[in-house]
Amino acid sequence: MVKSWLGQAAAIGILTTEFPRRPADPEELPAAARAPGAGPVALASLPPEVRAACPTGAISLTEIDQGKCVRCARCLPAGLVPAPDASANLGSRAGLRWPDGRPPGGTGPAPLAELGPSLHVFLVDVGSCQGCNLEVMGLANPYYDLHRLGMFFTNSPRHADVLVVVGVPTAAMVEPLRRTFEAMPAPKAVLAVGACAIDGGIFAEAPGRAAAVGEIVPVDLYVAGCPPAPVAILEGILALGRRRSRGPAP
Amino acid sequence: MSRPGWTEVAAGRPPGSGARSLAYVSPEGDLALWNDHEEHRTLLVRRPELSAEERAVLGNWRAGRSGPAVVSVGEQVHGYGVFTFPYGPVAMGVAEAGGFEVRTYGERILEIEPSVGHKRRGIEEQVVGKTVEDAALWIERRAGPFALSHAAAFRFAAESAAGRPVAERELGVRALGQELQRIYNHLHVLARLAEAASQNVGAAQLNALAESALRALGATFGHRWGFGALVPGAPGRRLDAPDRTDLEARLRRLGSEFEALGETLLGSRTFLDRIQSTGTVSTEDALRWGAVGPTLRASSVAWDDRLRDPTIPYREMFVPVVTERAGDALARVLVRREEVRGSLLLIEQLLDRWPRLGGGEAAPVEAIEPGRGIARGEGPSGDLVYDVRVSEGRIRSVASRTPSQANWPLVALSLRGAVFTDFAFSFESFGASFAETDG
Repeated sequence: MVKSWLGQAAAIGILTTEFPRRPADPEELPAAARAPGAGPVALASLPPEVRAACPTGAISLTEIDQGKCVRCARCLPAGLVPAPDASANLGSRAGLRWPDGRPPGGTGPAPLAELGPSLHVFLVDVGSCQGCNLEVMGLANPYYDLHRLGMFFTNSPRHADVLVVVGVPTAAMVEPLRRTFEAMPAPKAVLAVGACAIDGGIFAEAPGRAAAVGEIVPVDLYVAGCPPAPVAILEGILALGRRRSRGPAP
Repeated sequence: MSRPGWTEVAAGRPPGSGARSLAYVSPEGDLALWNDHEEHRTLLVRRPELSAEERAVLGNWRAGRSGPAVVSVGEQVHGYGVFTFPYGPVAMGVAEAGGFEVRTYGERILEIEPSVGHKRRGIEEQVVGKTVEDAALWIERRAGPFALSHAAAFRFAAESAAGRPVAERELGVRALGQELQRIYNHLHVLARLAEAASQNVGAAQLNALAESALRALGATFGHRWGFGALVPGAPGRRLDAPDRTDLEARLRRLGSEFEALGETLLGSRTFLDRIQSTGTVSTEDALRWGAVGPTLRASSVAWDDRLRDPTIPYREMFVPVVTERAGDALARVLVRREEVRGSLLLIEQLLDRWPRLGGGEAAPVEAIEPGRGIARGEGPSGDLVYDVRVSEGRIRSVASRTPSQANWPLVALSLRGAVFTDFAFSFESFGASFAETDG
C-alpha cells in the first residue's frame, strides 16, 4: 500500500504554489476574486446605472468600497478593471475605501511581529455561507500548504495567535465570538475574512444580522472578497505575522 | 424509467400505500409533494393531510427559523448518570456555526440532537420585492458549496412562475455547473472522512483534487463557487464558446487521479474499519424521515431527481443512478465515489451536445398556478425544492426545503449508540451543512 501511495504522489508531482515569492496567477486568483478598481475610468463619469446595479452600494461618485463589494461583476462591463494582485484585497476598514476607485497609497498594514515565528490560526464562523470557511480551510491543501510558511490550524482558541472570523454575525453568534476572542492568549490578532465579516456584504440589511464583526472584537485586518481566494487570505495572515518564506522570521 | 414531471392527485392523502416519502410542504400548508419511490414520480397534493409522523418531519425541517433550536427524532433519553454535552457552535471539528446536544453517560452517544439556526440570516424574507436577477445574488449565497443547485432551482421556479421561456443553452450551463459542483462536494466529503481516519496522504490528495475541481469551476465560470455563473453573458464566463479542451483536460486529469486514489483509499483496511457499519441508516428510517440524496441512495432507495428532471439536458442524457444497500458511512462513500464518475460522464455527454444546445428556447414546465412555480433539483447532498411566487417581475415569496434540512434526522439517528470517536465518520458522510439549513 505504501508503495502505491508513493507511486501516485510521484506521478502527480509537486502542486504547491510559489506564492508569495511570486505574484498569484489567474488560476489562484480568478477575475471574480480580484478587487475592481476604476483604472482609466473616472468614477464620476460612470453612468448612474452602474451605481444602481451594484447590489451593495459599494460604488459611489467618489469612492469604491472594497469592503462592501461582493464581486458580482455587474460593474465590470462599464470599464472597471480587476486589480492584478491578491494584496489589493487587504486593508483596514478605511483602507478598503478606494478614493476615486484607486487603491490608497502608503504602506500596507503594520505587521504584528510579536506574534512570533509560528502562527496558530483558529477559524470562527459567525454566520457565513460556508464559502469563506472552505477557502480558509483550503489553505491546508497541497496547492497552498500553509505549513511551509510556519502556520497551522489549531482546534482550540487557547492555542491560537490569529483569529480568522468569517460570516455576518447573527444574534446567536455575538457572544460565542466575544468569548472565543477572550479565550485566546495575548499577543493575538483578528483577521476578518470576506464581505460578510467586513460590513455584512450582501447581508448588510438581512433581518438576521446583529452587528458588525468590528463592533464585537477588535479587527486588525480585513480581507475583501466574496469569498476571497485562498491566496488573498494567505496574504492577510502573512501581513499579520510578517513571515514570507521558510526559515527564521525576519 | 419514465421521466414525468408532476402527478397531481386529489386533496387529502396521496392514494396507495407504496414506498413514498414527504418531499415538501408549503409554509401555508396549501400543497405538499410526496416522492413516490416505486413509480419514481412526484405526487402533488393540494390541501394535504399530514400524519403525526409527517408533522414531526415537517417540524424538523422548520427548526431554527427563529434562533437556535434542536432537530429531534424522538423522546429525550434520561437516566442515572446521563448528562447533556453541548458541542459547538464554535468548534473546528464542524468548522461552521452549528452545534450538537449530545446525551451521554461519558462513553457512548445515547442520543444526539443537531442544534440549527445559529446562522439564520433570513434570506427568503430579504429577497421579497426584488427582481429575479437581484434575488439570485442572495439565494446563491445561502450555501457556497451548493450555490449552483440552489441558484438553478430558484431560477427555474421563478421562470416557471413568470411563464418566461429559458434559452436551451442556459439549461446546459446550469447542468454543467451543478455537475462540477457535485464533483467538488463529493471530493470534499471524501477528504474530510480520510482526514478523520488520519489517512493523511489520501486526505491531502483528495483535498488537492477538490481544489482542482474549484479551479475548473473558476476557469469555466469565472468564480470558484459559481456565484453569478448563471447570469446569461456574465463577464468571466467562458461558455458561449466553451473552452472544451481546457475543461476536458482538467477533468481527464482529475478523473484518472481519482481512480487511482479511490483504489488505494478503499484498499486501506484502516480506513474501511472506521466507516464500515458506522452510522447505519435503515431504509425504513430513511423513508420515514424523508432522507434525500446519497443518504437515501446508500440505503437502497433509487431516487435521483435528475431522472425526473424535465429540463432538456437531463432528459436527453443517460443519468446513472447509484445505490448501495448497507446504509452505513461506507455505503455513502461508495455512492459518492460512483457519482463522481457519473458526473464526469454527464459532463462529457453535455460537452458533446454543446454545439447543438443552440439558440432554442424551452418553456418552463413547473408552474403550479399562474404566478407560482415549484422547481426541484438534485444537489450534491440530495434533492431540493424551491417554491417561488412572482408578480410583475418581482419576487412575492420564496420558500424552500433543502437537502441538509431533510438529512439532519438521519445524522441524529445514525449516531445513536455510537462511541464519540465515530462522530466524525458519521457526520461527515452525510454532507449536511448548517448554512444551507438555516438560510
